[in-house]
Amino acid sequence: MSAQPGTSTEVKWQKVLYERQPFPDNYVDQRFLEELRKNVHARKYRFWAVVFESGVVVQQLCSVCVFVVIWWYMDEGLLAPHWLLGTGLASSLIGYILFDLIDGGEGRRKSGRTRWADLKSALVFITFTYGFSPILKTLTESVSTDTIYAMSVFMLLGHLVFFDYGANAAIVSSTLSLNMAIFASVCLASRLPRSLHAFIMVTFAIQIFALWPMLQKKLKAHTPCSYVGVTLLFAFSALGGLLSISLVGAVLFALLLVAISCLCPFYLIRLQLFKENIHGPWDEAEIKEDLSRFLN
Amino acid sequence: MAYRRRGRHGHPRSATRYRAGRGNLYTFRTRTHNICMVSDFFYPNMGGVESHIYQLSQCLIERGHKVVIVTHAYGNRKGIRYLTNGLKVYYLPLKVMYNQSTATTLFHSLPLLRYIFVRERVTIIHSHSSFSAMAHDALFHAKTMGLQTVFTDHSLFGFADVSSVLTNKLLTVSLCDTNHIICVSYTSKENTVLRAALNPEIVSVIPNAVDPTDFTPDPFRRHDSIITIVVVSRLVYRKGTDLLSGIIPELCQKYPDLNFIIGGEGPKRIILEEVRERYQLHDRVRLLGALEHKDVRNVLVQGHIFLNTSLTEAFCMAIVEAASCGLQVVSTKVGGIPEVLPENLIILCEPSVKSLCEGLEKAISQLKSGTLPAPENLHNIVKTFYTWRNVAERTEKVYDRVAGEAVLPMDRRLDRLISHCGPVTGCIFALLAVFNFLFLIFLRWMTPDSVIDVAIDATGPKGAWTHQYPYSKKRGENNEICKIR
Amino acid sequence: MVSFGDPGMVLKAFFPTCCAAADSGLLVGRWVPEQSSAVVLAVVHFPFIPSQVKEFLAQVQQTSQVGVAVLGTWCHRRQEPEDNLGHFLEGLSAIFSHEPWLQLCREKGSTFWSCKATRWQGSTSPGAPSEDQVMIVFYDQRKVLLSQLHPPAILPDQETGDAAAGAVGLAAVFHTVARSEVLFRSDRFDEGPVRLSHWQSDGVEASILVELAKWASGPICLLLASLLSLVSAVSACWLFKLWPLPFIWSKLSTCEQLRYRLEQLTLIFSPQKAENPSQRMRKANMCVSVLLDVALGLTLLSWLHGKGRIEQLADALVPVADRVAEELQHLLQWLMGAPAGLKMNRALDQVLGRFFLYHIHLWISYIHLMSPFIERIVWHVGLSACLGLTVSLSILSDIIALLTFHIYCFYVYGARLYCLKICGLSSLWRLFRGKKWNVLRQRVDSCSYDLDQLFIGTLLFTILVFLLPTTALYYLVFTLLRLLVITVQGLIHLLVDLINSLPLYALGLRLCRPYRLAAGVKFRVLEQEAGRPLRLLMQINPLSYGRVVHTYRLPRYGCHPTHSWGSLCRKLFFGELIYPWRQREDKQD
Repeated sequence: MSAQPGTSTEVKWQKVLYERQPFPDNYVDQRFLEELRKNVHARKYRFWAVVFESGVVVQQLCSVCVFVVIWWYMDEGLLAPHWLLGTGLASSLIGYILFDLIDGGEGRRKSGRTRWADLKSALVFITFTYGFSPILKTLTESVSTDTIYAMSVFMLLGHLVFFDYGANAAIVSSTLSLNMAIFASVCLASRLPRSLHAFIMVTFAIQIFALWPMLQKKLKAHTPCSYVGVTLLFAFSALGGLLSISLVGAVLFALLLVAISCLCPFYLIRLQLFKENIHGPWDEAEIKEDLSRFLN
Repeated sequence: MAYRRRGRHGHPRSATRYRAGRGNLYTFRTRTHNICMVSDFFYPNMGGVESHIYQLSQCLIERGHKVVIVTHAYGNRKGIRYLTNGLKVYYLPLKVMYNQSTATTLFHSLPLLRYIFVRERVTIIHSHSSFSAMAHDALFHAKTMGLQTVFTDHSLFGFADVSSVLTNKLLTVSLCDTNHIICVSYTSKENTVLRAALNPEIVSVIPNAVDPTDFTPDPFRRHDSIITIVVVSRLVYRKGTDLLSGIIPELCQKYPDLNFIIGGEGPKRIILEEVRERYQLHDRVRLLGALEHKDVRNVLVQGHIFLNTSLTEAFCMAIVEAASCGLQVVSTKVGGIPEVLPENLIILCEPSVKSLCEGLEKAISQLKSGTLPAPENLHNIVKTFYTWRNVAERTEKVYDRVAGEAVLPMDRRLDRLISHCGPVTGCIFALLAVFNFLFLIFLRWMTPDSVIDVAIDATGPKGAWTHQYPYSKKRGENNEICKIR
Repeated sequence: MVSFGDPGMVLKAFFPTCCAAADSGLLVGRWVPEQSSAVVLAVVHFPFIPSQVKEFLAQVQQTSQVGVAVLGTWCHRRQEPEDNLGHFLEGLSAIFSHEPWLQLCREKGSTFWSCKATRWQGSTSPGAPSEDQVMIVFYDQRKVLLSQLHPPAILPDQETGDAAAGAVGLAAVFHTVARSEVLFRSDRFDEGPVRLSHWQSDGVEASILVELAKWASGPICLLLASLLSLVSAVSACWLFKLWPLPFIWSKLSTCEQLRYRLEQLTLIFSPQKAENPSQRMRKANMCVSVLLDVALGLTLLSWLHGKGRIEQLADALVPVADRVAEELQHLLQWLMGAPAGLKMNRALDQVLGRFFLYHIHLWISYIHLMSPFIERIVWHVGLSACLGLTVSLSILSDIIALLTFHIYCFYVYGARLYCLKICGLSSLWRLFRGKKWNVLRQRVDSCSYDLDQLFIGTLLFTILVFLLPTTALYYLVFTLLRLLVITVQGLIHLLVDLINSLPLYALGLRLCRPYRLAAGVKFRVLEQEAGRPLRLLMQINPLSYGRVVHTYRLPRYGCHPTHSWGSLCRKLFFGELIYPWRQREDKQD
C-alpha cells in the first residue's frame, strides 16, 4: 500500500480527505502551507494621528489630577466652597450650551432626551447630595486617614483602568469606572471640614468625571482642532495646579503626559516593523456583521 | 499490510507465540504492538475525541494489537473497567481542573503512569487532544522512560492572542521530541506544523471516520410538504450560534414552509430562544436541547438540509454524518471542512449571515426543483469515504514506522529541547526533564520493574480473551486437513 | 450457623424441650412444606381413640387457624424395648396419614435419639418408602410462645436472598407456636378425652388477681376516657379559638406538652383493644412513660414545697432578672464606646445604643411592676409539677422565653437591620459593577444604568459600606445572646423529648425478659454423630438496645432541628431570623 514512485508522478496530489490517494500519509506536497498569509490585518499608523488619539488618556489623567488638586485646596481651606460652586455651576452651564451647539442639537434629537429630563437629573443630583452631605461628613470619622487615602488611590486607579478610551476590550466598563470615581470622591469628601464642603466636592466630582468626558467626546468628533486646544489647555492647567502644590509631582506628571502622548505612539509605530502575524484557513472566522439588529 | 503478511504466514498467532517464546522480541514488535491510549477525554464524557479513541482501539484490537486506555476518574467511575472485546480502561484518581482536563504538575502522575506502562508492557504511547493535560504528561513520562510516542491533534488554534501564544509554546515543548504526530485533516496538519515548529515529514494525516451503519437514511421520517433544516451542534460561540440566530428570522420570513430543528445545548441557547420569541417562531423552530449520540440519527433523518455554522473546525464529523443520512449539507468554509466532502455533496459559504442564506436558498431551490440526489444514493457514496478500519490500518502503519525508530536518549533529548524550544523555555523544560528522570530512578529504586506484576492481557497477541479462539480454529483446520486426507 | 432457608432434602423437626420427658404417643404439630420443617407442638398420650383425637385437632384448627395435624409418632422407651409397641406405632401411620410420616424415638436415658421420616409417595418404586435425612431442633416452647420476632431490617445494598429466606422460615415457626395458644389452654389436671403433653404455666393462683384486675379495668377505663373527652371538649371550645389565642398556644411549649399528654392518655384509656403486639407495646410504653413522668413530678413537688424553697426561688428570681438587665446595660454602654478599637460610625452607634437602652429601661420597670406577684406565680407553677416533670420543664422553658423577651427583641431589631443592609449592599454591588439581577431568568445580567441612577446607587453603596461594621457588631452581639438562650431552651426540650419518647417499657422488658423481644435465633449443637440425626438446640437472640429504642420510640410532637449547621451559618450570615427547635415549623408567616 506504500507509494509507488512510478505512478505518483502522474497523479496529482489533492488536498482532500475523502479520496484514497497513492501517497503516504505523511506526504508533503509543493502546495503545503500555500494558503499561509502574514500580517493580513496589520495597519499603517501615522504618528500624529496616534498622538491625537492618545489625547483621551491625557484628558482623563488630567481630570483625576485636577480633582485631587482641588480637593487638596479645599482640605487646606485655601479654596472657598462658594467660589468652587459658582465656578462649577457656570462652567456646567457653558458646557451644557456648548453640548447642544456643537452638533446643532442632532444628538439630542437622536437620543430623544428632553430638557425637562436633564433638569430632573440635575435636581436629583443636587437634592440627594445636599441631603446626604451631613451623613457624608460623619461617615468616615473613625476610619483612619491613611485607609481613606489608600482606598481613594485604589479607586481612582481603577477608574483610569476601566475607563472607556474607545478600545474594544473585555476589561472596559464605563459603569464600573464611573462608580469607582464616585466612590473615591465620596471617600475624599468625607474628610473635608464641613458638610457644605462635602456637598460641593461631590458635585464637582460629577461634573468632572461624568459630564466633562461626554462633552469631550462630542468635541473630538465634531471639532478636532478645538479638541486639541482644549486638551492642551486642560493639561497645562492641571500641571499648573499640581506645580502650586509640589514641584516634584508636577515634573513627574509632565513626564508621564509626554511619555503617553509622544513616546508611546513612537514605539507603537516602531514596533510595527517586527510584527509577524500568521493567518490561514485554520483561523477562527470572525463575525463581521452586527447581529444584534435581529434581537431589537 | 500486516494482514497481508499474516496471510502469507498462515497461522499468525501460533507463529507469534512461538517466536516470542524464543525471545526474539524485535520481530515480534514489528508485527503487533502494545498500545496505551492516553487522554483526559473518554466515556462517559461524549464527543469527537472520545468516540475516536474508542473506535480506533476496537479496530486495533480486531487487528491483533493489545490496547489499553488511560483516562481520569469520572465521578463514581474509577479504577479499571473492561469494555467490549476486553478493552481495558484505567480511570485514574487525578483531580479535574477545568473542562474535564486534569491539573498537571508534570510529576505527580509519573508513579501511576509508570506502573501502568510497566505492568501492561506498553511499547507505544498514543496521546490524544492538545487540550488534555494528562496526554501531555504521558508523553513527557513516556519519553523519560524511553518509550515510543505518538500524538493525535484534534483541534485548530489561532496565533493571534496571548493565550494561544502560550499554549503553542507548550505544544512545541511537548511535541519537539515526540516520534510521530497524527492530524485529522491537511489544514490541521499545517496548523500543527506551524504551531509546534515541526518537520512536516513526521506528521501524518489520518481523518476521523463515522460508522456508516449508524447513519442510514430514512426518507419516510421527513414530511415533504415542508422543508426542514437541521442543525446539530453545541450552542457555543465557536460553533457559530450567533450566525444561526441571524439566519433563522431572515429565512423564515422569506419561506413560509420552512422549519428548523436545532439539537444541542450550550450557553448561546438563550439568544436562539430570544430570536424565537421575538419573531414568534415557536411552531417553526424546535429546540431539542442536549442530544445523546444515539438520538442524533433520528433527528437528522427528519430534515432535508443540514446546516453547519462553525467558525473553526479541524474535521467536521457532523457534516459527514448528515451526508450519510442523505441530507444536503450547507456549511461555512472554515478549517478543514472543504477537504471533507466532495463539492457536489456540500454547499460551502463564507461565515456570514448573507452568504449562508444564499447557500441555503440555493439548496432549497435545488430541493424544490428535485435536482438533489436521492438519500439512498448519497448514503452509498458517503459510506465509502471514511471507515474506522481504514483509519486503524493507517494508524497501524504509523505504529510500525515508529516502532522502528529509536527513542532519543536523555542527553540528545536535552539538546533537542534547548535547541528547539528557545533558550528560556528550553532550559526550564530540560531541567524539568532531568528532575523527571531522577524521580523515575527513585521510583525504580523503590519498586523495581521486576517487582511489578504483569497484567493479564485481555486482548492483544497473547490475550486471555482471544486464547480459545486460535485453538479452536486450529483444531477446526486440523479436522479439515484430516478430511482432505 | 445453620442455613435456615435451605430448601434441600434435610427435614427439620422442631421439638419442644418440655416434651422430651413425655410418654409415648402421637406428635401433634404443623407441617411447613416450603421450609420442609415439622413444628411439633404437643404429644398426645396413650391411650386415645383416634376419632376423638381428630375431632380435637379439628377444634383447635378452627379456633387458631393453624393447620394442626398428626405428624407422626413419639416413642419414649423407658424399659426394655417392646417390639409390639413399635409395630403398633408403625401401624398408626395408616390411620393418621401424613406426608412425610415422622417417627421420633428416644432410647433409654436421654442420650440416644433416633428419627425417621418416611415418604410414601414420590419415591421411585411405589411400594418401598423413601427416607429423608432428619435434623432435630429443640426449642423452649414458653419462650418461643411469648417472644416477638423482629425480622432484620433489610439493608438496601446487601445480598438479601439467603437472609430473607431464613427470616421467613423463622417467622413461620414463631407464628405457628404463637397461634396455637389454644392448644396450651388445657391443663395438666383437666380430664379430657385426649391427654396432651406440652408447656404449662405454673402460676395459676396469680392469674386470679390478673383476672380481677381485668374485670375492674373495664369500667375504670370508661370513666377516665369520658373525663378526658370532657377535658378535650373544653379545650376545643370556641372561646380558645379566638384570633390571637391559637397563635400563642402554639408558641407556648407548656400547651404543646399538655396537648401531647392528653392525646396519650386518651389513647391509653380508649376502650378499643390493641390489635397487634406493636400497638400493645406502644400503649404500655406510653403508660410507663406517663407514670414515670408523674412520679418524677411528684418528687419535684415535694422537694419544692419542703423548707420554703418556693419563697427562696421567688426571692431569687427578680434579682436575677435585674442582674441580667444590668449586664445588658453595661454591654450596650461598652458597645457605644469604641469596642475593641473597631471602626464604628459614632452617630449611628449612639442612636442604636440609646434605642436599646430605652428598651432595657422599659423592661426593668416591667419586672419591678411584676415583683409582688412573683411568689404567687411560682407557687402555682410549682403545683403543675403534679402533672409531670415534663410539664414543669416546659413551663420553665416558657418562663425563660418570657424573661428573655428583651433579648429576643434586640435580636430581631439587629437582624432586620443587618438583613436590610446585606440585601441593599448585594444589589448595590451589582449596580456598582454595572450588572443587575434578572428575576425572570434567575441570573445576573449586564445593564446600562442612567447617570442619576448610578450616582445615587453609588452614594448609597458608599454609605452602607461604611455603616456596615456598626450594624454588624450589634447584630453579632445580640445573636450570640440569642443563641445562648436558644441553647438553654433546646437542652430543656431535649430532656422533655427524652422522657416523652423513650420506650421505657420495652427497655425494661429487654432488661428483665430478654427472650420477649427476639432479633433471631442461634443454634447450639447437642449431638452430632454419624448415623444419628443431628440435634440442635434453638436459643433466642435478644434484640439489641439500640434497635429496641429505634423500633419502639414514641413519636415526638416537637419538630427536630430541620436544618444543618451549614444552612444555620448561612442564615446567620444573611441575617435571617432563627427560632428555637420547637417553633421552627410554625414559623411560616
